[in-house]
Amino acid sequence: MNKSKAGLALGAVAAVGAIASWQAPAGEAAKHDYWPGREKVIPHVSGDRRFSGTYDNWKDEASIRAAKAKGLMSHEMNFKDFRWLEKSFDAWPVLEEGKEYFNQPNAAGKSCASCHGPDGEKLKGVYANLPRFNARLGKVVVGPTQIRACAKDYLGIDGWKENTRPNSVLDMYVAHLSDGRKVDVDVISPGPLKEAYERGKNLYFKRTGQFHFACASCHTPPTVGNYLRGQRPSTFFGDAAHYPIYHFPYTLPGDDLAHVFTLQHQIRSCQMLSRMSQGTEGSRSMVDIEVFLKASANGYPMSIPTQEYNMSTDYLKR
Amino acid sequence: MNLTALRQPGARCLAALVAASVLGLFSPGVFAGSGQEKLQKIRAKWKPGEAMVPEFLTLYPCHEEDQPCGKLPPPAVEKVAFKGPLAGDAARGEKIALDVRWGNCAACHALPGAPGGSVGPSLADYPQRRPPVQYTYQRIWDGRVFNPDAHMPIYGTQGVLTEEEIRDVMAFLYQGKK
Repeated sequence: MNKSKAGLALGAVAAVGAIASWQAPAGEAAKHDYWPGREKVIPHVSGDRRFSGTYDNWKDEASIRAAKAKGLMSHEMNFKDFRWLEKSFDAWPVLEEGKEYFNQPNAAGKSCASCHGPDGEKLKGVYANLPRFNARLGKVVVGPTQIRACAKDYLGIDGWKENTRPNSVLDMYVAHLSDGRKVDVDVISPGPLKEAYERGKNLYFKRTGQFHFACASCHTPPTVGNYLRGQRPSTFFGDAAHYPIYHFPYTLPGDDLAHVFTLQHQIRSCQMLSRMSQGTEGSRSMVDIEVFLKASANGYPMSIPTQEYNMSTDYLKR
Repeated sequence: MNLTALRQPGARCLAALVAASVLGLFSPGVFAGSGQEKLQKIRAKWKPGEAMVPEFLTLYPCHEEDQPCGKLPPPAVEKVAFKGPLAGDAARGEKIALDVRWGNCAACHALPGAPGGSVGPSLADYPQRRPPVQYTYQRIWDGRVFNPDAHMPIYGTQGVLTEEEIRDVMAFLYQGKK
């Protein structure tokens, strides 16, 4: 076949293909390329048994200590040896800053503490159930969006948007009030949270961006357990239990967030590294992904503040 | 769904125009064009080795379902034919393969003379394994021809690398250790 004929024939095929991919039947989700594994996912941290298979090494404190004693590496404990078992000393000043914002009165003398009690005593345990449906806002919200809306509507502060320093340090402060509580996001009962979870699951496995990767491309086996250059990715089960996380020294360009990575910010960071278009923090799809991640930590205790990188060099001796 | 599309910008451009106008989708953002068209747009503003310019990433499917890029269909599989000889610039190919902000092959593969990640198979002994040149070319251009769930970026179809750059990487791989 000569070149131009082949071009025309194949062009026609391409046109048909392009049309086919746009004509999704009404009511059905658009067709995308998905990384395999969606059907195996369950909204509980033990779902990792069907993925990395390391869950029994990090399911509780005793297991982590036993795994360390056996000489297992951090990635075989899903990095819980330092991201969960150990608190971040460096993050304490961040919590102090968050507490200052929390108790800081506005011109009318009102602060977060006016409703939530001094130092937020009425917020204990709340973060373990986030994200959740906010009836007043009429949508599922993540911690940072709740903070933004509260600050604007009740304190008249317009500037505490999701990707600002006051918001991020407050988010970490409020999250730390749930330290030790088990994550419990109900995505089983019918309702907006369940719908968000299902959408988030699809988004987590949807292939996107210039590299045609999904979040799951890196955070499920065989990538989990292997090296990406010098790094090993985590399995996504249980990860959300220690977010927001202290992420010193890494930042995104333009950050002034005291090295706090909310889960929303973490997703944006991953998107940037994988050459995907970065989502907007607090947008519907970004919230959906967070619902999926947080529900994948259901049953695992929150641990705040912890730190992304292992600052201990003990493992070098092993 | 191995859609056979010839790697011919003209043919695919025409097909795309037909498809887009039939569906009334000819508006910027919704129809983003073929990989090599995207590549031309990107390379006018972005130089390999620099941070990717965020505006170009909305040309590809994304997570934001309320945005046009969230509705983009996945790129059609592209089947390509390698026309010899293998005469790329191996030194440039090595640079492409190792640079995080270019080809970044080393993220997943060990390469001839260079360590790397372990997600993909080691390519350190690539010449000794004597894989056919056509196979290698297709694998880099769009590996979904062999495996729809292939992990590897579809370098040609998405316009991550130019045809010349892919040939350079191949020259580096087949040259082996220096």
